[in-house]
Amino acid sequence: MDLFGSFSLLLAFLCALYAIGGGIAAILTRRPLLIKSARNAGFAVCVLIWLAMGSLAYLFLSDNFSLSYVVDHSNRTLPAFLKIAAIWSGQEGSLLFWSFILSIYVFSVLFTYRGKHPELMPYVGVVMAGTQLFFLVLNAFVVSPFTVLGAPGAGGALDLVARADGRGLNPLLQYPEMVIHPPMLYSGYTGFTIPFAFALAALLGRYPGEKWIHLTRRWTMIAWCFQSIGVLLGAHWAYAVLGWGGYWAWDPVENASLMPWLTGTAFLHSVMMQEKRGMMRVWNVWLVFATFLLTIFGTTLTRTGLVSSVHAFAQSTIGPWFFGFIGVVLVVCFTAYWQNRDYLRSDNQLDSLASRESSFLFNNLILLVACVAVLSGTLFPVLSEWVQGTQISVGAPFFNKVNLPIGLFLLFLTGVGPLLAWRKTSMESLKRNFGWPVLLGIVAGGAGVALGLRNFYVTICLILCVFVTLTILLEFYRGARVISARTRANLFSSVAQLTMRNTRRYGGYVVHFGIVLIFVGISGSAFNQDKQMDMPPGAQMEIGPYRLVHQTFDTVPAVNYTSERATIAVDRDGQQSIMLYPERRFYPSNEESGTMVAIYSTLKEDLYVVYAGRSPETQVPVIHVYLNPLVKWVWLGGLVVVLGTILALVPNRQPVLALRAVAETAPAGPSPARLPLERPLEREDSHG
Amino acid sequence: MVRRRHAAAALSLVAILTLLAGLLYAQSTERAKRLGGGMLCMCNCGQILTACNHVGCTVSSTMLKQLDQRVAVNSSDDLLLQSFVQEYGPKVLASPPAQGFNLLAWIIPGLAFGIGLAVVLVVIHQWRRRFELAPAGGPPISSEALDRARQQADRETED
Repeated sequence: MDLFGSFSLLLAFLCALYAIGGGIAAILTRRPLLIKSARNAGFAVCVLIWLAMGSLAYLFLSDNFSLSYVVDHSNRTLPAFLKIAAIWSGQEGSLLFWSFILSIYVFSVLFTYRGKHPELMPYVGVVMAGTQLFFLVLNAFVVSPFTVLGAPGAGGALDLVARADGRGLNPLLQYPEMVIHPPMLYSGYTGFTIPFAFALAALLGRYPGEKWIHLTRRWTMIAWCFQSIGVLLGAHWAYAVLGWGGYWAWDPVENASLMPWLTGTAFLHSVMMQEKRGMMRVWNVWLVFATFLLTIFGTTLTRTGLVSSVHAFAQSTIGPWFFGFIGVVLVVCFTAYWQNRDYLRSDNQLDSLASRESSFLFNNLILLVACVAVLSGTLFPVLSEWVQGTQISVGAPFFNKVNLPIGLFLLFLTGVGPLLAWRKTSMESLKRNFGWPVLLGIVAGGAGVALGLRNFYVTICLILCVFVTLTILLEFYRGARVISARTRANLFSSVAQLTMRNTRRYGGYVVHFGIVLIFVGISGSAFNQDKQMDMPPGAQMEIGPYRLVHQTFDTVPAVNYTSERATIAVDRDGQQSIMLYPERRFYPSNEESGTMVAIYSTLKEDLYVVYAGRSPETQVPVIHVYLNPLVKWVWLGGLVVVLGTILALVPNRQPVLALRAVAETAPAGPSPARLPLERPLEREDSHG
Repeated sequence: MVRRRHAAAALSLVAILTLLAGLLYAQSTERAKRLGGGMLCMCNCGQILTACNHVGCTVSSTMLKQLDQRVAVNSSDDLLLQSFVQEYGPKVLASPPAQGFNLLAWIIPGLAFGIGLAVVLVVIHQWRRRFELAPAGGPPISSEALDRARQQADRETED
């Protein structure tokens, strides 16, 4: 099966070469047969990568310990679902997994647009195959997961050997979330290849108009949605497994996943300027290029040992390959832009500063500044060592200080932007849209201060959260009221109708509301408390309204590990509510330990209990307890963001429903003069 | 009576001293937490010293003990941090000190914002000028008609 996997990768590499060569020939000759042939080669690349991935999965599930990669990342007692997760737990397998996810996207694109857009698709195919080729070179020749173990035989040649068992999976990765977190994150990273391919293709082929934007809108949103899920699952994994009480440490690997998310978010907003007004063509193309490059750069950070991180893969020699690829992509992008820059010329006009267009400009500015802040902070230790010769650290305090005001400004724009009209917003409209939200936001801030809130940033966050929430609610209310008056439906049904008539717009509002919830959750971290003490069984500890009693301490054997587990009874305000079991697991296969945090989570706060090991002096269990307010809101916010994005991906409801309602309510039939004004509300969003 | 007064005074003194000692201890612990929050654990996990819960990490416990001892001596924050820098190198500080070359780390985000803001303002100015210079043709339009048309355009392009 290892030979089968290697051979599949080799064939995939050859097919990718053909897809590029054939694609270029098809572009030059415009011969339909060649176009089809290059496309079929693209399909073949994908299928062959799936076969390679399937064979690696089989090797893991069948405990084939003749493969070096399986030996290093699995063992016999590992549960089956973790054997699947072990596939992407190391450098070699994760790169193949990258190729695998990318091939799903590529296949979907080639299949969806087969026979369509003949001027554009050959270019798209070449760009996608080029990206696949790079990863296939790594998979097949540089860090192959199909390397077999060998030992010098009698004649000097290597004989195949097989180990009795493997070294097992890293304990930090033996957590159910690790089965879904990397696939989500990789789906985000690789998904941005699609808008990149279309943008570069449109530029190279001078494809007319904004069609590439329409074609890639949904692909971009899917990638962005996966990236959001991946980032949040990563944060949740760090919270539940690493046991340091927080969910975001500004670790280089976390930053690597955040940067393309920031530029991707900027793109999702600025692209509307191009769709609606034909503006910012150059900017959008470069934003897509930057997002793609940041996904590659992000994975470079985690794989090359450029920066140290607890999450990173082991240092390896693949750095030059990645930097080479980034260099090639940059050269191609810049050359394509320079050669075809006149094609991107747009007639940018701004009617007023108080307009949706200018709010998007500021939104993009802030998102890009956030990205620069994260990027510069992540790379500064490397720069400092290079210039000064001394290593310095850029940790969470720096990132928090720099990004807090940026984040709050972004939250402010989240409330302001959607309520500004395209072209120009009148003063009357500004007052109508923002009057109550601003007033009630300030009242909420004042009430917070009166109730003892003294943290400046938290107070500002509270004001902005109330402001943004009210602007969103008002938008739903106003739209629903119009529908309700017209159709006599109740308000809730009208909200549903309104949402389904323009899913993109109202899904966007739901996403914004999710962001508000996330900010609420983040603001809670200003009030975190923690306590650590040696707690023999019978000892008690109090934190906030909770009293923790250490009841028993025992050793629990499991199939794959042995755990030391504390049983802690928790009372809240004198009433016994729950039992918590923080533990530390020891994995004999690789002789490593891992923490399993016990969390009692409510909307108000998380009681986060860590068994931190035994005191070296007394051998008494050490319990570290954190009281983290509002953390659940972060996860709820993430869920709302995902639901909003899914809603925005749903096609709009057909206009016929509303037209019938107008006809029913108007006694003499619909007035011809009213129809043009009614129709835009019901228009079908035809963007692909 | 006098003995009772003396006893009450002594008890009050003991209570006040206990309270003060408690307060000083709490302050010292808070200070240690605050200073520890500005340093990294040197076990290479990249975590904040007070948050490092690395399995089997002996470095953080040693460093936290050192921190407690140095806080107890009550030297200034700067001197205390400097002592850690001398022992572990500048890498121990969780944020780069805002001096010399390291100041650049603090300047870059602000600089990026400043440059970006300037670019946005220039872009807005240019786009506004193009709008103002755009030739108007046809018969004059009343402000009411223009408002109506604008409202309609707003509705139609709303998203």
